Amino acid sequence: MDRVRPGEASTPGPAAAAPSRPAAPAAGLTAGRRRLAQAGSVVLLLSAWEAASRSGALDPAFVPAPTAVARALAEVGPTALGLLGETLGKTLVAYVLSVGLGVGVGLVVGSARHLHDVVSPFLVAAYAIPKILVLPWILLALGLGLAPAVAYGTLQGFFPICLLVIGGVRDLDRTPLLVARSMGARPGQIYRKVILPAALPAVLAGMRLGLVFCLLGVLVVEMFGGIRGMGFLLASLATAFRAPALFAATALVSTLSVAGVVGLEALSRRLARWR
Amino acid sequence: MRSRRAVAWVWGGRAVLFVGLLLAWEGWAGGRDPLLYVSPSRVLPAAAQLLSAYPTLPEHLRLTTGEIVAAYGLSVAVGLGLGLALGLPRHVGEIYEPLLAALYAVPSVVWYPSLMLFFGLGPTSKVAFGFLLGVFPVVLAVLTGLRSVDRTLLTVARAYGAGPGASFVKVVLPAITGTLVAGLRSSLALTTVGVLVGEVLGARAGLGYLINYAYGLLRTADYAALALLALVLVVVVDGGAALLEARARRWTG
Repeated sequence: MDRVRPGEASTPGPAAAAPSRPAAPAAGLTAGRRRLAQAGSVVLLLSAWEAASRSGALDPAFVPAPTAVARALAEVGPTALGLLGETLGKTLVAYVLSVGLGVGVGLVVGSARHLHDVVSPFLVAAYAIPKILVLPWILLALGLGLAPAVAYGTLQGFFPICLLVIGGVRDLDRTPLLVARSMGARPGQIYRKVILPAALPAVLAGMRLGLVFCLLGVLVVEMFGGIRGMGFLLASLATAFRAPALFAATALVSTLSVAGVVGLEALSRRLARWR
Repeated sequence: MRSRRAVAWVWGGRAVLFVGLLLAWEGWAGGRDPLLYVSPSRVLPAAAQLLSAYPTLPEHLRLTTGEIVAAYGLSVAVGLGLGLALGLPRHVGEIYEPLLAALYAVPSVVWYPSLMLFFGLGPTSKVAFGFLLGVFPVVLAVLTGLRSVDRTLLTVARAYGAGPGASFVKVVLPAITGTLVAGLRSSLALTTVGVLVGEVLGARAGLGYLINYAYGLLRTADYAALALLALVLVVVVDGGAALLEARARRWTG
């Protein structure tokens, strides 16, 4: 997954969002062997970590052994799940807003050439600006409740989705558009029947990328503002120096995020086949 | 090619939009609580007085720049090493690249509390977070570049008696430079973001710390001016990287 580079005039194509898949070389490994090697490496890494932590090569106060982290998970789990629910609720609202606005604006800006030429540098710049600079102001203006997390999550998610959709629409084949227009299709019909289906891969790529960005935004607000939720839990476990619980909570959020993205990937593969 | 007139229209439209946005901001923030809302007309005077209001500003700025330089140096060194180690031997990249890609599906900020626990509130945790964000684009750029190397050229080079070193310099390096330079540039942008995020989330010094400090005291105009300064830093860093990228592209042709 590439980020759009700041200052770059062009918008990212759909390929920019998906983690680049290795084009399997002719003499590549079989999928089974690859999985085995991956699982083996992870198990090896965890065992080495466990051994290093137990023997005292790694200070368990800083890097607790995986078994200690697993025990801590059972302990911190109930609290963490409740807070995770709050975080996910906020993320969901921000995500729906980001996808709705990002896809809507992306379709309109991508399909109107003059509008695109004028507006897109602003969108690229807004994407590239570190959003963290406006975070304090968002908390000032919106207080400490649900609103700042949703606003900042949406701010994080909107621009990458919008830019990907714009890129997808710009790369469309023009012929079906011309045909539909010459057959007298109304603009609403053109968007629904021609542009949206053709831009679907870009929309789906944006949805995968946007999910991570929205979750990131919500977590940052919770960490910074000390607002209830998973970000706050992570920050306070770090301050309280509870490494095993912190690692367990970190693993929980990470796993969930990867699961979300993998789920969306499966969904988009299914949609691609259906199309 | 578009006509000059069309280009002029586009730039005119952009200028109108820019001024319009500033005016809208001015009008929206102008009549409201000055503690919460800062209009552009108040940001510029605050920016002009920044140095007298915060005499230690140059030191904070130097610290932040130093953190960015250190994090970027680490990202590039480790990224190149890791990328080559994963990409040059057969099969190794095939196994580990999906694992790296899965890490990308995790919002990076979840690692930051752990880094705070390891390294404390000082500059090290910022360097570590900047590195963590910056290293991935380098690794992935090396892997993508290596995949694009023409195997035939390698075979030919070997047939003409080029050793591993010579084929690396003559065949591999020119082939991956384009991708690599783009990766190095996005790595720099992400490193900068990482350092700033780290400083805002908790630090004792640096530009992000000052931003937080001004915000905490409700010196909102100062906060906005400092944020503007950080933005200038980001733009300067990326502008420099863009120039270098253009030069590298010309060099490789």
